[in-house]
Amino acid sequence: MTSLTVVGRPDLPGGRPAAAPALELRDISKTYPGTNALTGVSFVLRRHQMLGLVGENGAGKSTLLSIINGTVRPDTGTISINGEAVRFGHPTEAARNGVATVFQEQGLIPTIPVFENIFLGRETKFTVAGGLRRKAMIAEARAVLEELEVDVSPTALTGALSFGQRQLVEIAKAFALSRVYPVEPIILLDEPTSALSDHETAKLFDGINRWRSRASFVLVSHRLSDVFAICDEVVALKDGHVVDQRPIKSIDEVALHELIVGRQRNAEYYREAVQREPSATVALRATGISKPGHLRGVSLDLREGEILGVAGVLGSGKSTLARIIAGAEAQGEGDVIVEGATLLRGSRRDAIRHGIGFVPAERSVAGIIGTDTVDWNLTLPNLKQIALGFLGLISPRRSRALTVEWMQRLKVRAPGPSAACRTLSGGNQQKIVFAKWLARGVRILVLDDPGRGLDVGAKEDIYSLMREIADKGAAVLLVSDNLPELIGLSNRIMVLRDGVVSAIVETPKDAKPREVDVVSAML
Amino acid sequence: MAEVSATVAKKQGDFNLRTIVLPIIAIVVLVAYFSYVNPLFFSASNALNIGRQSSVLLMVALAGTVVILIGSIDLSVGALVTLTGILAALTVDQFGLAGATLVGIGVGALVGLVNGSLVTMLKVPSFLVTLGMLSILSGVANQISQGQSILFADSLLPDLVNGSFVLGIPNVIWFALIATAVLTVVAFRTKLGRYLYALGGGEIVASHAGVPVTFYKILAFVLAGAICGLAGVMLTGQVGAGTPTAGSSLLLNSIAAVVMGGTALSGGIGGPHRTFLGVLVIAILTNGMDVTEVNSFTQDIVKGFVIILAVSLTIDRSKYLFIK
Repeated sequence: MTSLTVVGRPDLPGGRPAAAPALELRDISKTYPGTNALTGVSFVLRRHQMLGLVGENGAGKSTLLSIINGTVRPDTGTISINGEAVRFGHPTEAARNGVATVFQEQGLIPTIPVFENIFLGRETKFTVAGGLRRKAMIAEARAVLEELEVDVSPTALTGALSFGQRQLVEIAKAFALSRVYPVEPIILLDEPTSALSDHETAKLFDGINRWRSRASFVLVSHRLSDVFAICDEVVALKDGHVVDQRPIKSIDEVALHELIVGRQRNAEYYREAVQREPSATVALRATGISKPGHLRGVSLDLREGEILGVAGVLGSGKSTLARIIAGAEAQGEGDVIVEGATLLRGSRRDAIRHGIGFVPAERSVAGIIGTDTVDWNLTLPNLKQIALGFLGLISPRRSRALTVEWMQRLKVRAPGPSAACRTLSGGNQQKIVFAKWLARGVRILVLDDPGRGLDVGAKEDIYSLMREIADKGAAVLLVSDNLPELIGLSNRIMVLRDGVVSAIVETPKDAKPREVDVVSAML
Repeated sequence: MAEVSATVAKKQGDFNLRTIVLPIIAIVVLVAYFSYVNPLFFSASNALNIGRQSSVLLMVALAGTVVILIGSIDLSVGALVTLTGILAALTVDQFGLAGATLVGIGVGALVGLVNGSLVTMLKVPSFLVTLGMLSILSGVANQISQGQSILFADSLLPDLVNGSFVLGIPNVIWFALIATAVLTVVAFRTKLGRYLYALGGGEIVASHAGVPVTFYKILAFVLAGAICGLAGVMLTGQVGAGTPTAGSSLLLNSIAAVVMGGTALSGGIGGPHRTFLGVLVIAILTNGMDVTEVNSFTQDIVKGFVIILAVSLTIDRSKYLFIK
């Protein structure tokens, strides 16, 4: 652990110099089958402070929040609240200690009024002989909302409020806890601004600044600007470890980003030695792709044998670009051209006809059918190959043979071609999504964050597979959140910022750029 | 890691085994019990009775299976059988057997087309579209028949349905068995079949794999409608008249049979072969209670319990996030 010098806020409660921190985690570890979600995580949240928790997808932020709010039990380690060790078996126990979570997907029920949501699950305080004292509940809810200066009527229907208002109600709900249980709230904010406009964000931060004398906060956010706007300290997580805890004043945005992504880039891991020079032939050309609110005039040439990386922060439009090029979403303007033919907008069928395979980001809903077997998944776009005879009936034998062939080539670990896909690990599922298109002999592969949620070993397999694919002359468009991955694998990186190409960074195998060179174009 | 996935796979295998084995155990237990209470139950002639009584139900359950496989539901199947049965009775004297059959299948397919189009184009949930269609079709059937049975002079239709041309087994049973076999082949060995499972298991995955989702969804409803139309014609032949109440018990029994067989209401799991077993359970239960002289009100109560029990044993809970 790095040093934990008290920083920043002169208005810390004066009378008690050795006041115990609001929340302290010591050596928290959690293992799920196949992955170490968290390893020896320790950090301190001082009273009335705002602590930013940052890290990539899969760094362990969500698991950590779940452990603090009692949804998940850690394997080892201790949690202390106000200096006392606690052990939560259930979210209600965490709530009794003042811990409240404001979730990314909101936890309010839209069909009931605000005051019922505020006291949901804690109505006992208002119960008299089995009946609810509705008036008392409304009055209490109104008091909480007024105290927080939240301009929402307690009797309003929750679903009729704007997203930003509901967010405020969630926070009010957390404060209302302290009226039911005599504790000061510790409020966990999970990506609170991801669906808010700038104006709403500013309002939320205003409120938080007013309330921080009465609560302590943990903020999880992808937006580093949020962290810099309101946090006192920041904890960076990477692969389930705490990289650093520091006062926010001692670090700038670029340095923090490096801290988050900056694992030692290992050239071997990304098979950089076998990176080939792309051929001069353009496999796919996109011209002036635009979609209101997402992309503006994005053009690119994807050459045979090339891995073209696309970098950008959340909301930069990079996923939209992948979906448009794969035909899974229609663009407003611009064309995707393969071998002189302009593809139909938003038609996966046409894209497939022109040899474009697509590995989407959400594997479980868009990549794999969990209830189907490996061979039914793999052959879904390849039924012609396994049809036999004059009726064109599918041959189960050929279906399995084709599947087994690709399972061996891609080293898929599964009991067999007839195993249900949902029983496979994420890495093996992802290999099947790849195999689906490789078995079809596609010449162009669009990948949207192919390493998401995979453990290190599975990632390594996928990376070497991508190298092989490019080596055989196929063109790969690689969209990713993971910067070392992009730098390690790509021949070039196109950086998107707010839907516009902000830079093209060459990444030849002997002269890979530093992450900071790419990051500066992203922010 | 591999070990973990192997055990999970084994569980999955167990589950598949369970959904196949449980209906078979149920059938064996029911047959043993009814035979013990009334030895007449266990006879070749009663077996043919069971077959005759459940052939139309099997057809309707197959139609329901097709739609349930894509994760939708068709509540208009029973009413459609009633309507097409009446239409067949009205047209058989004028257009002959082939004509009446075409009318039945044609109207059935048309209703399926309307159902499927409303579900896909207007994006109204199939539950509501087909609930409305159920009401419309029963209304039309009553309107046409004025609530009366429609008699006809043609003898070819009843003879074809009720006759026993092969092995002494009534033709109506053969028709239902052939339909089961054909649909099972369609389910596992054709593009259509694989696409139906894919739509039910993961519509977005299917669409990313280039499956024309809307077309195949509509096709599922059309296919179900056409099968119901054929079932309506068969029912009219069996009864010897078109009756406005003929299809009323078919809807609930067919859904019960589909689910009991192990086809998940959430789609993507199960199939026609499973539905065959489910229908057998319902048919044996109904016939057995008739033979052992259980009164019809008690029969409904027993059947209700059996359905709940069977479904609670066979449904695949991993498909549901919440049970609602």
